[in-house]
Amino acid sequence: MFKDDKKNMRATVSVILDGRSVSLPEGMSVAAGLLGIGEIISRISPSSHKPCSPHCLMGVCYECLMEIDGVKRQACMTDVREGMVINRHLRTTDEPKEETHESSL
Amino acid sequence: MSRHYDVIVIGAGPAGLSASSSLAELGLDVLTLDEQSRIGGQIYRNVEAAPAESLALFGKDYSAGLELTRRFRDSGAAYEDCASVWQVNPDGKLCYSRLGSSKQVSANYIIAATGAMERPMPIPGWNLPGVMGAGAANNLAKEAGLSPSGKVVLAGSGPLLLLEASLLIKKGVSIAAILETTPTRPPVPAIPRAPQALLRADFLWKGISMLRDIKKSGVPHYKGVTNIRALGQKTVEAVEAQCGEETLHLNADMLLLHFGVIPNTHIFRQMRCRMAWKPGQRYWYPACDEWGRTNHERIFAAGDGAGVSGALAAQYKGELAALEVARCLGMIPEHERDTLAAPIKKSLRNDAFPRPFIDALYAPRPEQFAFEDSTVLCRCEHVTVGDVRKVVGEGVCEVNEVKAITRCGMGPCQGRMCGPALAEVVGAELSLSPEKAGLLSIRPPLKPIPLEEIAAMDLGADSPEGANWLLDKK
Repeated sequence: MFKDDKKNMRATVSVILDGRSVSLPEGMSVAAGLLGIGEIISRISPSSHKPCSPHCLMGVCYECLMEIDGVKRQACMTDVREGMVINRHLRTTDEPKEETHESSL
Repeated sequence: MSRHYDVIVIGAGPAGLSASSSLAELGLDVLTLDEQSRIGGQIYRNVEAAPAESLALFGKDYSAGLELTRRFRDSGAAYEDCASVWQVNPDGKLCYSRLGSSKQVSANYIIAATGAMERPMPIPGWNLPGVMGAGAANNLAKEAGLSPSGKVVLAGSGPLLLLEASLLIKKGVSIAAILETTPTRPPVPAIPRAPQALLRADFLWKGISMLRDIKKSGVPHYKGVTNIRALGQKTVEAVEAQCGEETLHLNADMLLLHFGVIPNTHIFRQMRCRMAWKPGQRYWYPACDEWGRTNHERIFAAGDGAGVSGALAAQYKGELAALEVARCLGMIPEHERDTLAAPIKKSLRNDAFPRPFIDALYAPRPEQFAFEDSTVLCRCEHVTVGDVRKVVGEGVCEVNEVKAITRCGMGPCQGRMCGPALAEVVGAELSLSPEKAGLLSIRPPLKPIPLEEIAAMDLGADSPEGANWLLDKK
Protein backbone atom coordinates (compact mmCIF):
# COMPACT_ATOMS: atom_id res chain seq x y z
CA MET A 1 0.00 0.00 0.00
CA PHE A 2 3.01 2.26 0.54
CA LYS A 3 6.37 2.55 -1.09
CA ASP A 4 9.46 3.82 0.64
CA ASP A 5 11.17 6.58 -1.32
CA LYS A 6 14.57 5.59 0.10
CA LYS A 7 14.07 1.92 0.70
CA ASN A 8 17.59 0.67 0.05
CA MET A 9 19.33 3.56 1.73
CA ARG A 10 18.05 3.10 5.27
CA ALA A 11 19.73 1.46 8.23
CA THR A 12 17.52 -1.28 9.59
CA VAL A 13 17.10 -3.03 12.91
CA SER A 14 15.60 -6.43 13.50
CA VAL A 15 12.49 -6.87 15.58
CA ILE A 16 10.27 -9.85 16.40
CA LEU A 17 6.89 -9.35 14.73
CA ASP A 18 4.27 -11.91 15.73
CA GLY A 19 6.98 -14.44 16.48
CA ARG A 20 9.12 -14.00 13.38
CA SER A 21 12.15 -11.84 12.82
CA VAL A 22 11.73 -8.90 10.43
CA SER A 23 13.83 -5.87 9.51
CA LEU A 24 12.37 -2.43 10.06
CA PRO A 25 13.95 0.87 9.13
CA GLU A 26 15.51 2.80 11.97
CA GLY A 27 14.47 6.31 13.02
CA MET A 28 10.72 6.05 12.57
CA SER A 29 7.67 4.85 14.43
CA VAL A 30 6.66 1.19 14.56
CA ALA A 31 3.45 2.10 12.68
CA ALA A 32 5.33 3.78 9.82
CA GLY A 33 7.92 0.99 9.74
CA LEU A 34 5.25 -1.70 9.45
CA LEU A 35 3.27 0.19 6.79
CA GLY A 36 6.53 0.57 4.84
CA ILE A 37 7.00 -3.22 4.66
CA GLY A 38 3.37 -3.83 3.69
CA GLU A 39 2.06 -4.84 7.11
CA ILE A 40 -1.02 -2.67 7.08
CA ILE A 41 -3.13 -4.52 9.64
CA SER A 42 -2.38 -3.25 13.12
CA ARG A 43 -4.77 -5.26 15.26
CA ILE A 44 -8.13 -7.00 15.39
CA SER A 45 -10.75 -4.73 16.92
CA PRO A 46 -11.89 -6.23 20.22
CA SER A 47 -15.39 -4.85 19.60
CA SER A 48 -16.06 -5.55 15.90
CA HIS A 49 -13.54 -8.44 15.61
CA LYS A 50 -12.47 -6.98 12.27
CA PRO A 51 -8.95 -6.00 11.23
CA CYS A 52 -7.89 -2.38 11.73
CA SER A 53 -5.17 -0.28 10.14
CA PRO A 54 -3.59 2.91 11.47
CA HIS A 55 -5.82 5.90 10.70
CA CYS A 56 -4.33 9.13 12.05
CA LEU A 57 -0.60 8.44 12.56
CA MET A 58 -0.50 11.15 15.23
CA GLY A 59 -1.62 9.50 18.44
CA VAL A 60 -5.33 10.29 18.27
CA CYS A 61 -7.23 7.28 16.90
CA TYR A 62 -5.70 4.33 18.82
CA GLU A 63 -6.24 2.04 15.83
CA CYS A 64 -2.55 1.13 15.87
CA LEU A 65 -2.59 -0.19 19.45
CA MET A 66 -0.40 -3.26 19.60
CA GLU A 67 1.52 -5.17 22.20
CA ILE A 68 5.05 -3.80 22.15
CA ASP A 69 7.52 -5.33 24.61
CA GLY A 70 4.63 -6.66 26.65
CA VAL A 71 2.55 -3.48 26.93
CA LYS A 72 -0.22 -2.22 24.65
CA ARG A 73 1.14 0.90 23.01
CA GLN A 74 0.30 3.18 20.14
CA ALA A 75 2.61 2.02 17.36
CA CYS A 76 2.60 5.50 15.82
CA MET A 77 3.99 7.00 19.03
CA THR A 78 6.64 4.33 19.63
CA ASP A 79 9.97 4.37 17.80
CA VAL A 80 11.42 1.22 16.28
CA ARG A 81 14.25 -0.25 18.38
CA GLU A 82 16.54 -3.25 17.91
CA GLY A 83 15.17 -6.40 19.48
CA MET A 84 11.67 -5.02 20.02
CA VAL A 85 8.98 -7.68 20.44
CA ILE A 86 5.76 -6.72 18.66
CA ASN A 87 2.61 -8.81 18.91
CA ARG A 88 -0.50 -7.85 17.01
CA HIS A 89 -2.58 -10.91 17.95
CA LEU A 90 -4.05 -11.06 14.47
CA ARG A 91 -5.53 -14.52 14.92
CA THR A 92 -7.86 -15.11 17.83
CA THR A 93 -5.71 -18.11 18.83
CA ASP A 94 -2.90 -15.61 19.40
CA GLU A 95 -4.75 -13.98 22.27
CA PRO A 96 -2.77 -14.18 25.51
CA LYS A 97 -4.25 -16.64 27.99
CA GLU A 98 -3.78 -14.32 30.91
CA GLU A 99 -4.91 -10.81 30.14
CA THR A 100 -2.07 -9.28 32.09
CA HIS A 101 -2.12 -6.04 30.19
CA GLU A 102 -5.82 -5.48 30.38
CA SER A 103 -5.21 -3.76 33.67
CA SER A 104 -4.46 -0.50 31.92
CA LEU A 105 -6.95 2.23 32.69
CA MET B 1 11.78 13.46 43.71
CA SER B 2 9.17 15.70 42.17
CA ARG B 3 10.80 18.52 40.30
CA HIS B 4 9.47 22.09 40.14
CA TYR B 5 9.87 24.40 37.14
CA ASP B 6 8.99 28.00 36.44
CA VAL B 7 7.02 26.93 33.39
CA ILE B 8 6.08 23.64 31.75
CA VAL B 9 5.19 23.77 28.07
CA ILE B 10 3.17 20.83 26.72
CA GLY B 11 3.81 20.27 23.03
CA ALA B 12 6.76 20.98 20.75
CA GLY B 13 4.96 22.20 17.64
CA PRO B 14 5.18 25.81 16.46
CA ALA B 15 3.37 27.26 19.51
CA GLY B 16 5.18 25.13 22.09
CA LEU B 17 8.61 25.66 20.57
CA SER B 18 8.28 29.43 20.34
CA ALA B 19 6.81 29.69 23.87
CA SER B 20 9.59 27.53 25.34
CA SER B 21 12.34 29.36 23.48
CA SER B 22 11.08 32.81 24.50
CA LEU B 23 10.83 31.81 28.16
CA ALA B 24 14.19 30.06 28.31
CA GLU B 25 15.86 33.00 26.56
CA LEU B 26 14.57 35.21 29.38
CA GLY B 27 16.36 32.96 31.84
CA LEU B 28 13.38 31.02 33.12
CA ASP B 29 13.53 27.37 34.09
CA VAL B 30 11.41 25.71 31.39
CA LEU B 31 10.50 22.08 30.75
CA THR B 32 9.05 21.17 27.34
CA LEU B 33 7.18 17.88 27.11
CA ASP B 34 6.25 16.34 23.80
CA GLU B 35 4.58 13.08 23.01
CA GLN B 36 6.58 12.45 19.86
CA SER B 37 10.18 11.36 19.67
CA ARG B 38 11.07 14.37 17.51
CA ILE B 39 10.25 18.04 17.87
CA GLY B 40 8.22 20.00 15.32
CA GLY B 41 4.65 18.94 16.01
CA GLN B 42 2.62 17.81 13.01
CA ILE B 43 3.39 20.60 10.55
CA TYR B 44 7.16 20.50 11.13
CA ARG B 45 7.27 16.75 11.81
CA ASN B 46 10.81 15.39 11.53
CA VAL B 47 12.04 18.69 10.05
CA GLU B 48 15.39 18.50 11.86
CA ALA B 49 16.26 15.19 10.18
CA ALA B 50 14.46 15.84 6.88
CA PRO B 51 16.44 14.95 3.76
CA ALA B 52 16.91 17.65 1.10
CA GLU B 53 14.27 16.19 -1.22
CA SER B 54 11.71 16.27 1.57
CA LEU B 55 12.51 19.93 2.33
CA ALA B 56 12.15 20.68 -1.39
CA LEU B 57 8.85 18.81 -1.73
CA PHE B 58 7.16 20.40 1.27
CA GLY B 59 8.64 23.80 0.50
CA LYS B 60 9.11 26.93 2.56
CA ASP B 61 6.08 26.28 4.76
CA TYR B 62 7.89 23.20 6.07
CA SER B 63 11.53 24.30 6.11
CA ALA B 64 10.48 27.40 8.09
CA GLY B 65 10.32 24.98 11.01
CA LEU B 66 14.11 24.66 10.99
CA GLU B 67 14.47 28.18 12.30
CA LEU B 68 12.10 27.39 15.17
CA THR B 69 13.79 24.12 16.08
CA ARG B 70 17.24 25.73 15.96
CA ARG B 71 16.10 28.55 18.23
CA PHE B 72 14.61 26.02 20.63
CA ARG B 73 17.80 23.93 20.76
CA ASP B 74 19.85 27.08 21.44
CA SER B 75 17.48 28.41 24.07
CA GLY B 76 18.47 25.96 26.78
CA ALA B 77 14.92 24.86 27.55
CA ALA B 78 14.83 21.39 29.12
CA TYR B 79 13.09 18.92 26.84
CA GLU B 80 11.67 15.44 27.26
CA ASP B 81 10.73 13.51 24.13
CA CYS B 82 8.19 10.63 24.08
CA ALA B 83 6.54 12.27 27.11
CA SER B 84 2.85 11.57 27.21
CA VAL B 85 1.07 13.87 29.65
CA TRP B 86 -1.78 11.97 31.29
CA GLN B 87 -2.98 14.33 33.97
CA VAL B 88 -2.79 18.07 34.52
CA ASN B 89 -4.04 19.91 37.56
CA PRO B 90 -5.04 23.55 37.32
CA ASP B 91 -2.65 24.30 40.23
CA GLY B 92 0.36 23.45 38.05
CA LYS B 93 1.04 19.79 38.87
CA LEU B 94 1.17 17.26 36.10
CA CYS B 95 1.95 13.60 35.46
CA TYR B 96 3.52 12.18 32.36
CA SER B 97 4.57 8.80 31.14
CA ARG B 98 7.84 8.27 29.36
CA LEU B 99 9.25 4.95 28.14
CA GLY B 100 7.28 2.90 30.60
CA SER B 101 7.54 4.97 33.75
CA SER B 102 5.55 7.90 35.04
CA LYS B 103 6.69 11.02 36.81
CA GLN B 104 5.06 13.93 38.56
CA VAL B 105 6.38 17.44 38.04
CA SER B 106 5.03 20.87 38.81
CA ALA B 107 5.35 24.43 37.61
CA ASN B 108 4.16 27.92 38.44
CA TYR B 109 2.63 28.14 34.97
CA ILE B 110 1.67 25.63 32.32
CA ILE B 111 1.34 26.50 28.64
CA ALA B 112 -0.58 23.77 26.83
CA ALA B 113 0.12 23.80 23.10
CA THR B 114 -1.68 20.64 22.10
CA GLY B 115 -2.22 21.48 18.45
CA ALA B 116 -4.98 20.38 16.14
CA MET B 117 -6.26 17.13 14.70
CA GLU B 118 -8.24 16.24 11.59
CA ARG B 119 -11.97 16.44 12.14
CA PRO B 120 -13.11 12.83 12.31
CA MET B 121 -16.06 12.37 9.94
CA PRO B 122 -17.81 9.00 10.01
CA ILE B 123 -18.63 7.63 6.55
CA PRO B 124 -19.66 4.10 5.61
CA GLY B 125 -16.52 1.96 5.55
CA TRP B 126 -14.22 4.48 7.25
CA ASN B 127 -13.00 1.72 9.54
CA LEU B 128 -11.86 -0.47 6.62
CA PRO B 129 -8.08 -0.92 6.47
CA GLY B 130 -6.79 1.45 3.81
CA VAL B 131 -8.93 4.41 4.86
CA MET B 132 -6.75 7.05 6.50
CA GLY B 133 -6.60 10.71 7.27
CA ALA B 134 -4.97 12.81 4.56
CA GLY B 135 -2.87 14.19 7.41
CA ALA B 136 -1.76 10.64 8.19
CA ALA B 137 -0.39 10.26 4.65
CA ASN B 138 1.33 13.61 5.08
CA ASN B 139 2.87 12.47 8.38
CA LEU B 140 4.11 9.23 6.81
CA ALA B 141 5.78 11.18 4.02
CA LYS B 142 7.52 13.54 6.44
CA GLU B 143 8.49 10.93 9.00
CA ALA B 144 9.27 7.90 6.89
CA GLY B 145 9.42 8.99 3.24
CA LEU B 146 6.46 6.76 2.45
CA SER B 147 4.06 7.43 -0.39
CA PRO B 148 0.97 5.47 -1.43
CA SER B 149 1.86 2.79 -3.97
CA GLY B 150 -1.60 1.98 -5.33
CA LYS B 151 -4.53 4.02 -6.55
CA VAL B 152 -5.65 6.75 -4.18
CA VAL B 153 -8.92 8.63 -3.76
CA LEU B 154 -8.85 11.85 -1.74
CA ALA B 155 -12.16 12.95 -0.26
CA GLY B 156 -13.49 15.69 1.94
CA SER B 157 -13.01 19.40 2.14
CA GLY B 158 -10.56 22.11 3.06
CA PRO B 159 -7.27 23.57 1.88
CA LEU B 160 -5.22 20.74 3.41
CA LEU B 161 -7.04 18.17 1.25
CA LEU B 162 -5.99 20.07 -1.87
CA LEU B 163 -2.49 20.57 -0.50
CA GLU B 164 -2.12 16.83 0.09
CA ALA B 165 -3.47 16.14 -3.41
CA SER B 166 -0.94 18.49 -4.97
CA LEU B 167 1.90 16.90 -2.96
CA LEU B 168 0.90 13.40 -4.08
CA ILE B 169 0.68 14.59 -7.68
CA LYS B 170 4.20 16.02 -7.41
CA LYS B 171 5.43 12.67 -6.10
CA GLY B 172 3.83 10.88 -9.04
CA VAL B 173 1.27 8.96 -6.96
CA SER B 174 -1.63 7.55 -8.99
CA ILE B 175 -4.79 9.40 -7.96
CA ALA B 176 -8.16 8.04 -9.10
CA ALA B 177 -10.04 11.20 -8.14
CA ILE B 178 -10.39 14.10 -5.74
CA LEU B 179 -13.89 14.19 -4.26
CA GLU B 180 -14.57 17.58 -2.71
CA THR B 181 -17.65 17.95 -0.56
CA THR B 182 -17.28 21.73 -0.82
CA PRO B 183 -20.22 23.17 -2.81
CA THR B 184 -19.54 24.07 -6.44
CA ARG B 185 -20.45 27.69 -5.73
CA PRO B 186 -18.88 29.49 -2.74
CA PRO B 187 -21.28 29.72 0.21
CA VAL B 188 -22.85 33.16 0.71
CA PRO B 189 -20.98 34.04 3.96
CA ALA B 190 -17.65 33.65 2.13
CA ILE B 191 -18.32 36.46 -0.35
CA PRO B 192 -18.17 39.56 1.94
CA ARG B 193 -15.00 38.11 3.49
CA ALA B 194 -13.15 37.85 0.18
CA PRO B 195 -11.87 41.46 -0.11
CA GLN B 196 -10.12 41.22 3.24
CA ALA B 197 -8.39 38.03 2.08
CA LEU B 198 -7.01 39.96 -0.89
CA LEU B 199 -4.81 41.84 1.58
CA ARG B 200 -2.75 38.69 1.69
CA ALA B 201 -2.18 38.11 -2.01
CA ASP B 202 0.76 35.79 -1.22
CA PHE B 203 -1.56 33.43 0.62
CA LEU B 204 -4.18 33.39 -2.11
CA TRP B 205 -1.50 32.94 -4.75
CA LYS B 206 -0.41 29.74 -3.00
CA GLY B 207 -3.97 28.43 -3.21
CA ILE B 208 -4.35 29.37 -6.85
CA SER B 209 -1.10 27.72 -7.91
CA MET B 210 -2.07 24.59 -5.95
CA LEU B 211 -5.39 24.39 -7.82
CA ARG B 212 -3.58 24.98 -11.10
CA ASP B 213 -1.19 22.08 -10.40
CA ILE B 214 -4.16 19.83 -9.73
CA LYS B 215 -5.91 20.92 -12.91
CA LYS B 216 -2.78 20.50 -15.01
CA SER B 217 -2.30 16.94 -13.74
CA GLY B 218 -5.60 15.87 -15.26
CA VAL B 219 -6.71 14.14 -12.06
CA PRO B 220 -10.53 14.03 -12.03
CA HIS B 221 -11.65 16.64 -9.50
CA TYR B 222 -15.31 16.53 -8.45
CA LYS B 223 -17.01 19.19 -6.33
CA GLY B 224 -20.23 19.19 -4.35
CA VAL B 225 -19.78 15.47 -3.75
CA THR B 226 -22.02 13.67 -1.23
CA ASN B 227 -22.56 10.12 0.09
CA ILE B 228 -18.90 9.09 0.07
CA ARG B 229 -18.42 5.44 1.04
CA ALA B 230 -15.49 3.05 1.15
CA LEU B 231 -16.19 -0.45 -0.18
CA GLY B 232 -14.18 -3.63 0.18
CA GLN B 233 -13.93 -7.01 1.87
CA LYS B 234 -10.67 -6.98 3.79
CA THR B 235 -9.31 -3.61 2.70
CA VAL B 236 -10.54 -0.74 0.54
CA GLU B 237 -11.26 -1.87 -3.02
CA ALA B 238 -13.42 0.97 -4.26
CA VAL B 239 -14.93 4.32 -3.32
CA GLU B 240 -18.46 5.36 -4.21
CA ALA B 241 -19.95 8.83 -4.11
CA GLN B 242 -22.71 10.95 -5.53
CA CYS B 243 -21.92 14.01 -7.65
CA GLY B 244 -25.13 15.69 -8.75
CA GLU B 245 -27.02 13.11 -10.80
CA GLU B 246 -23.95 11.00 -11.34
CA THR B 247 -22.97 8.03 -9.15
CA LEU B 248 -19.21 7.70 -9.08
CA HIS B 249 -17.58 4.30 -8.66
CA LEU B 250 -13.81 4.44 -8.41
CA ASN B 251 -11.49 1.50 -7.93
CA ALA B 252 -8.94 2.39 -5.28
CA ASP B 253 -6.50 0.86 -2.80
CA MET B 254 -6.55 3.78 -0.44
CA LEU B 255 -9.00 6.45 0.62
CA LEU B 256 -7.58 9.55 2.26
CA LEU B 257 -10.16 11.59 4.17
CA HIS B 258 -9.90 15.17 5.31
CA PHE B 259 -12.67 17.36 6.69
CA GLY B 260 -10.71 20.26 8.11
CA VAL B 261 -8.94 20.47 11.45
CA ILE B 262 -10.21 21.05 14.98
CA PRO B 263 -8.38 21.82 18.24
CA ASN B 264 -7.07 18.94 20.32
CA THR B 265 -8.82 19.79 23.58
CA HIS B 266 -8.63 16.74 25.87
CA ILE B 267 -6.09 18.32 28.25
CA PHE B 268 -8.18 21.47 28.66
CA ARG B 269 -11.35 19.51 29.24
CA GLN B 270 -9.66 17.23 31.79
CA MET B 271 -8.65 20.40 33.71
CA ARG B 272 -12.22 21.65 33.41
CA CYS B 273 -11.15 24.75 31.54
CA ARG B 274 -14.10 26.82 30.42
CA MET B 275 -14.80 25.79 26.82
CA ALA B 276 -16.28 27.94 24.07
CA TRP B 277 -18.06 26.88 20.89
CA LYS B 278 -17.10 28.20 17.46
CA PRO B 279 -20.37 28.04 15.53
CA GLY B 280 -19.11 28.47 11.95
CA GLN B 281 -16.43 25.82 12.32
CA ARG B 282 -18.51 23.69 14.70
CA TYR B 283 -15.79 22.95 17.24
CA TRP B 284 -14.95 23.54 20.93
CA TYR B 285 -11.90 25.46 22.10
CA PRO B 286 -10.69 26.68 25.51
CA ALA B 287 -11.90 30.22 26.26
CA CYS B 288 -8.82 32.44 26.66
CA ASP B 289 -7.86 36.07 27.04
CA GLU B 290 -5.62 37.78 24.46
CA TRP B 291 -2.51 36.17 26.03
CA GLY B 292 -3.95 32.68 26.01
CA ARG B 293 -4.80 32.55 29.74
CA THR B 294 -7.66 30.16 30.41
CA ASN B 295 -10.09 30.57 33.30
CA HIS B 296 -7.40 28.93 35.44
CA GLU B 297 -4.84 31.57 36.47
CA ARG B 298 -1.83 29.27 35.92
CA ILE B 299 -2.95 27.55 32.74
CA PHE B 300 -2.39 29.02 29.29
CA ALA B 301 -3.43 27.69 25.90
CA ALA B 302 -1.41 28.48 22.78
CA GLY B 303 -1.48 27.52 19.13
CA ASP B 304 -4.08 25.55 17.22
CA GLY B 305 -5.17 23.76 20.40
CA ALA B 306 -6.69 27.09 21.43
CA GLY B 307 -8.45 27.60 18.06
CA VAL B 308 -7.30 26.66 14.58
CA SER B 309 -5.42 29.43 12.80
CA GLY B 310 -2.35 27.78 11.28
CA ALA B 311 1.35 27.35 12.00
CA LEU B 312 2.46 30.99 11.86
CA ALA B 313 -0.37 32.20 14.08
CA ALA B 314 0.43 29.34 16.47
CA GLN B 315 4.00 30.55 16.72
CA TYR B 316 2.84 34.10 17.47
CA LYS B 317 0.35 32.89 20.08
CA GLY B 318 3.12 30.87 21.74
CA GLU B 319 5.23 34.01 22.01
CA LEU B 320 2.37 36.08 23.41
CA ALA B 321 1.63 33.48 26.09
CA ALA B 322 5.33 33.40 26.98
CA LEU B 323 5.45 37.20 27.36
CA GLU B 324 2.52 37.27 29.75
CA VAL B 325 3.90 34.33 31.76
CA ALA B 326 7.27 36.12 31.96
CA ARG B 327 5.49 39.21 33.28
CA CYS B 328 3.61 37.17 35.87
CA LEU B 329 6.90 35.66 37.03
CA GLY B 330 8.43 39.11 37.41
CA MET B 331 10.94 38.75 34.57
CA ILE B 332 9.64 41.70 32.56
CA PRO B 333 7.49 44.67 33.57
CA GLU B 334 4.12 45.25 31.97
CA HIS B 335 5.31 48.03 29.65
CA GLU B 336 8.09 45.81 28.31
CA ARG B 337 5.64 42.98 27.72
CA ASP B 338 3.46 45.37 25.74
CA THR B 339 6.37 46.75 23.74
CA LEU B 340 7.55 43.26 22.85
CA ALA B 341 4.02 42.08 22.12
CA ALA B 342 3.06 44.93 19.78
CA PRO B 343 4.88 43.69 16.64
CA ILE B 344 3.78 40.08 17.32
CA LYS B 345 0.15 41.15 17.61
CA LYS B 346 0.51 43.05 14.35
CA SER B 347 1.92 39.97 12.59
CA LEU B 348 -0.88 37.87 14.06
CA ARG B 349 -3.50 40.27 12.67
CA ASN B 350 -1.78 40.32 9.28
CA ASP B 351 -1.66 36.53 9.20
CA ALA B 352 -5.36 36.33 10.02
CA PHE B 353 -6.63 38.38 7.03
CA PRO B 354 -7.46 35.44 4.73
CA ARG B 355 -8.73 33.23 7.57
CA PRO B 356 -12.41 34.34 7.69
CA PHE B 357 -12.69 33.81 3.92
CA ILE B 358 -11.06 30.34 4.00
CA ASP B 359 -13.12 29.39 7.07
CA ALA B 360 -16.37 30.43 5.40
CA LEU B 361 -15.42 28.76 2.12
CA TYR B 362 -14.76 25.39 3.72
CA ALA B 363 -17.11 25.65 6.71
CA PRO B 364 -18.63 22.30 7.67
CA ARG B 365 -22.30 22.20 6.68
CA PRO B 366 -24.96 20.64 8.93
CA GLU B 367 -26.13 18.33 6.11
CA GLN B 368 -22.69 16.70 6.12
CA PHE B 369 -23.61 15.19 9.47
CA ALA B 370 -26.76 13.47 8.21
CA PHE B 371 -25.14 10.07 8.64
CA GLU B 372 -26.69 6.71 7.76
CA ASP B 373 -27.89 4.60 10.69
CA SER B 374 -25.52 1.77 9.86
CA THR B 375 -22.39 3.95 9.82
CA VAL B 376 -19.96 3.21 12.64
CA LEU B 377 -19.68 6.28 14.85
CA CYS B 378 -17.45 5.01 17.64
CA ARG B 379 -14.68 2.95 16.07
CA CYS B 380 -13.25 1.70 19.38
CA GLU B 381 -16.49 0.29 20.74
CA HIS B 382 -18.22 -0.34 17.40
CA VAL B 383 -21.26 1.82 18.14
CA THR B 384 -23.30 2.88 15.11
CA VAL B 385 -25.12 6.15 14.44
CA GLY B 386 -28.35 4.14 14.67
CA ASP B 387 -27.46 2.89 18.16
CA VAL B 388 -27.08 6.50 19.31
CA ARG B 389 -30.26 7.68 17.57
CA LYS B 390 -32.17 4.88 19.27
CA VAL B 391 -31.24 5.98 22.81
CA VAL B 392 -31.85 9.63 21.94
CA GLY B 393 -35.29 8.54 20.73
CA GLU B 394 -35.83 6.96 24.12
CA GLY B 395 -35.33 10.30 25.84
CA VAL B 396 -31.58 10.65 26.38
CA CYS B 397 -30.46 14.16 25.51
CA GLU B 398 -26.85 14.59 26.60
CA VAL B 399 -23.68 13.03 25.15
CA ASN B 400 -22.34 11.71 28.48
CA GLU B 401 -25.59 9.86 29.08
CA VAL B 402 -25.39 8.43 25.57
CA LYS B 403 -21.85 7.33 26.37
CA ALA B 404 -22.89 5.59 29.58
CA ILE B 405 -25.64 3.66 27.79
CA THR B 406 -24.06 2.84 24.42
CA ARG B 407 -20.29 2.90 25.28
CA CYS B 408 -19.83 5.45 22.47
CA GLY B 409 -16.64 7.31 23.46
CA MET B 410 -15.61 4.81 26.12
CA GLY B 411 -12.83 3.03 24.20
CA PRO B 412 -9.09 3.66 24.23
CA CYS B 413 -9.29 6.86 22.13
CA GLN B 414 -11.58 8.30 24.82
CA GLY B 415 -13.94 9.99 22.42
CA ARG B 416 -11.30 11.71 20.33
CA MET B 417 -12.59 10.06 17.15
CA CYS B 418 -16.34 10.00 17.84
CA GLY B 419 -16.93 12.97 20.18
CA PRO B 420 -17.50 15.69 17.57
CA ALA B 421 -19.80 13.56 15.39
CA LEU B 422 -21.62 12.20 18.45
CA ALA B 423 -22.62 15.74 19.43
CA GLU B 424 -23.77 16.37 15.84
CA VAL B 425 -25.95 13.25 15.86
CA VAL B 426 -27.49 13.93 19.26
CA GLY B 427 -28.01 17.61 18.39
CA ALA B 428 -29.65 16.80 15.05
CA GLU B 429 -32.00 14.26 16.65
CA LEU B 430 -33.12 16.88 19.15
CA SER B 431 -33.17 19.70 16.56
CA LEU B 432 -30.57 21.54 18.62
CA SER B 433 -27.19 23.01 17.79
CA PRO B 434 -24.53 20.37 18.63
CA GLU B 435 -23.08 22.43 21.47
CA LYS B 436 -26.36 22.02 23.33
CA ALA B 437 -25.85 18.25 23.31
CA GLY B 438 -22.93 18.66 25.72
CA LEU B 439 -19.28 17.73 25.62
CA LEU B 440 -17.87 14.35 26.72
CA SER B 441 -16.30 14.63 30.19
CA ILE B 442 -12.61 13.82 30.09
CA ARG B 443 -10.95 12.22 33.07
CA PRO B 444 -7.37 11.25 33.78
CA PRO B 445 -5.44 9.35 32.58
CA LEU B 446 -5.61 11.25 29.29
CA LYS B 447 -3.88 8.32 27.61
CA PRO B 448 -4.28 4.71 28.72
CA ILE B 449 -1.35 3.61 30.88
CA PRO B 450 -0.79 0.42 32.87
CA LEU B 451 -1.96 0.59 36.50
CA GLU B 452 1.39 -0.79 37.61
CA GLU B 453 3.03 2.30 36.14
CA ILE B 454 0.94 4.55 38.38
CA ALA B 455 1.62 2.30 41.36
CA ALA B 456 5.37 2.50 40.77
CA MET B 457 5.30 6.27 40.33
CA ASP B 458 7.72 8.48 42.23
CA LEU B 459 5.54 11.18 43.74
CA GLY B 460 8.30 12.90 45.68
CA ALA B 461 8.74 12.10 49.38
CA ASP B 462 8.79 15.82 50.14
CA SER B 463 5.14 16.20 49.35
CA PRO B 464 3.04 15.87 52.51
CA GLU B 465 -0.16 15.22 50.63
CA GLY B 466 1.42 12.30 48.77
CA ALA B 467 -0.77 11.10 45.98
CA ASN B 468 -4.03 12.47 47.33
CA TRP B 469 -4.23 15.13 44.67
CA LEU B 470 -4.50 12.39 42.07
CA LEU B 471 -7.97 11.70 43.40
CA ASP B 472 -10.70 13.64 41.73
CA LYS B 473 -11.81 16.12 44.36
CA LYS B 474 -14.74 17.59 42.50
